[in-house]
Amino acid sequence: MAKLGTTGLGEIEVREGTWKVRLRRPDGSGPWLGAGRRATDRPSRAQPGHEGHGHAPGALEGHRSARNPATSHSSNGSGPSPAAGRPDPAPARPDAPAEARRPAGDPHRAVATSPAVGIFQPHAPAGPGSRVRAGDRIGLVDMLGVGQEVVAPADGVVTGILVEAGDAVEYGQELVVLELMTRTSAG
Amino acid sequence: MFAKVLIANRGEIALRILRACRTLGIEAVVAYSEADRESLPVQLADEAICIGPADARRSYLSAPAVISAAVVTGCDAIHPGYGFLSEDEGFAEVVRAHDLTFIGPPPGVLERFASKEGTRRLMATHGLPTIPGSGMLRDDLHAMEEADRIGYPVLIKPSAGGGGKGMRMVRSRRELESAIKVCRSEAKAAFGDDSLYLERWLEDNRHVEVQVAVDRYGRGVHLGDRDCSVQRRHQKILEESPTPALSDAARGDLAERAVRAAVGAGYENVGTLEFLVDAEGHAWFIEINCRIQVEHPVTEVLTGIDMVATQIRIAAGEPLGFSQADVTFRGHAIELRINAEDPEHDFRPSAGLIERYLVPGGPGIRMDSHIYAGYEVPPYYDSLLGKLIVWGPDRASAIARAKSALDELLIEGVVTNVSIHQAILSSEPFLEGRMTTSLLDRVGSAAFLAAAARA
Repeated sequence: MAKLGTTGLGEIEVREGTWKVRLRRPDGSGPWLGAGRRATDRPSRAQPGHEGHGHAPGALEGHRSARNPATSHSSNGSGPSPAAGRPDPAPARPDAPAEARRPAGDPHRAVATSPAVGIFQPHAPAGPGSRVRAGDRIGLVDMLGVGQEVVAPADGVVTGILVEAGDAVEYGQELVVLELMTRTSAG
Repeated sequence: MFAKVLIANRGEIALRILRACRTLGIEAVVAYSEADRESLPVQLADEAICIGPADARRSYLSAPAVISAAVVTGCDAIHPGYGFLSEDEGFAEVVRAHDLTFIGPPPGVLERFASKEGTRRLMATHGLPTIPGSGMLRDDLHAMEEADRIGYPVLIKPSAGGGGKGMRMVRSRRELESAIKVCRSEAKAAFGDDSLYLERWLEDNRHVEVQVAVDRYGRGVHLGDRDCSVQRRHQKILEESPTPALSDAARGDLAERAVRAAVGAGYENVGTLEFLVDAEGHAWFIEINCRIQVEHPVTEVLTGIDMVATQIRIAAGEPLGFSQADVTFRGHAIELRINAEDPEHDFRPSAGLIERYLVPGGPGIRMDSHIYAGYEVPPYYDSLLGKLIVWGPDRASAIARAKSALDELLIEGVVTNVSIHQAILSSEPFLEGRMTTSLLDRVGSAAFLAAAARA
């Protein structure tokens, strides 16, 4: 296993052809360096993508679900379970309600997704129950020390945060559920 | 050895790397863009992580996204595949700064070979003949002076990158004047670096390359040559080994000189030294590719050596584990790049749903592909659908098997370039082993197709 967080560099400049970015490690043992923390600790890969894609070969579905830790930890042992045999420092938590991860088609809900692959940190003032406006910052995804803002996709009330602070998230992963407000009530 | 590797690429090479990891007992995480969610490597991976949107600049070309994905999934190495970040020494350096291993040459080695123009000079000092050319061009006036000195026609080449981008052959001062601006902007757009140099243009040249593998301890072997002379607009479309351009003695000599120079110049890991062979059979070194190449399977079927596994083992610091005497070459191999592009319409790319897909089989047939029936070919990336690799005990039987395999191959839903392969495999220049890199463009693909249709 890689010993994460032992890099000696605090800051490094990356030149990528036409752009340049300064990567900074968060100081100390930032949450993203938490040993044993893995992307697979997140509740689920986005599942909605599968629906409506009847062409995905059935034989492959097993592999895909094997990557869903919810499946590989509990039921079938057929798929490779990356976390198996290693102590999971993160306490088990109840999975977010399935319907919260599948708000597609629900006209009363909107979901903020991750702008980057990294470590999620909620924005304290935007906790469950808070009212937010479209564009408000409701969280942060730390990508190698550079914070990428998670913003509210619409005016609404935060009804659920689908991942825990410090969880690894992938690009596009659903993070925060909003109950939508109508224009008039939001005003 | 690594415990877990992040595969930072897509398509057939992501799948090929995944397979190598499986055989080595390494866990593999496939990093993918939103456009590749349904792709085969993502579905078959032990774990997969979405790193960005379809736009490669924000996914497969984004160093922070790729490295962040490796960090949060607990990987200890990153395999960049080919293209994208595979030869970017800045990326390799940042990978190392995060305590991860870049699977390829170490950053310092990548840096040493980063400039094609510098590499030419370096390899010349290690005994490889190089084509007369210029140093890095300072400005247009300098280009004119150098071209006059070298003699027209000359080839304008970008010092960074590859794949034919920013490359133009010019026959006169006037052509040079207009082409150099185009090359500069193409090189800038493609590689973020607009430095150019000139090389004398060899008419009727053949592209012959030597595969080498050098471990961290300076022990190197060559794994033979590959002939990549069948090209369309500087893009390889068919590769074979051994090259029909050189005698066995000349091939052996070239391969030995190549590996000696690579070791001497401090190269590490698998790499490819590219040469142009002129009409007289002289081989001129042009560049070194510091990555696994698209056409590596040709070498694999000839030698029985898993190139990707070798690359991973060397990056992990393992000794090569075999010597030159252990490397044997058997028979003849041909690789056909199956692209989603339409030969009838100037090879324009084709994307969409693969409705049916049947893979050929039989002795000596291998298909490396990430497609399946029901897969949607995204329009955002290169058009490579897969590689059909055939082996035969000799060239004639390899060609016969290739033709038969192409007849069996069925891909419906997108237009493919299968017809141009059929035409090439039946053409006299190919059958006689005298294809040159410019032949397809000079004669015209249409003429090849028409000749095949008449036959």
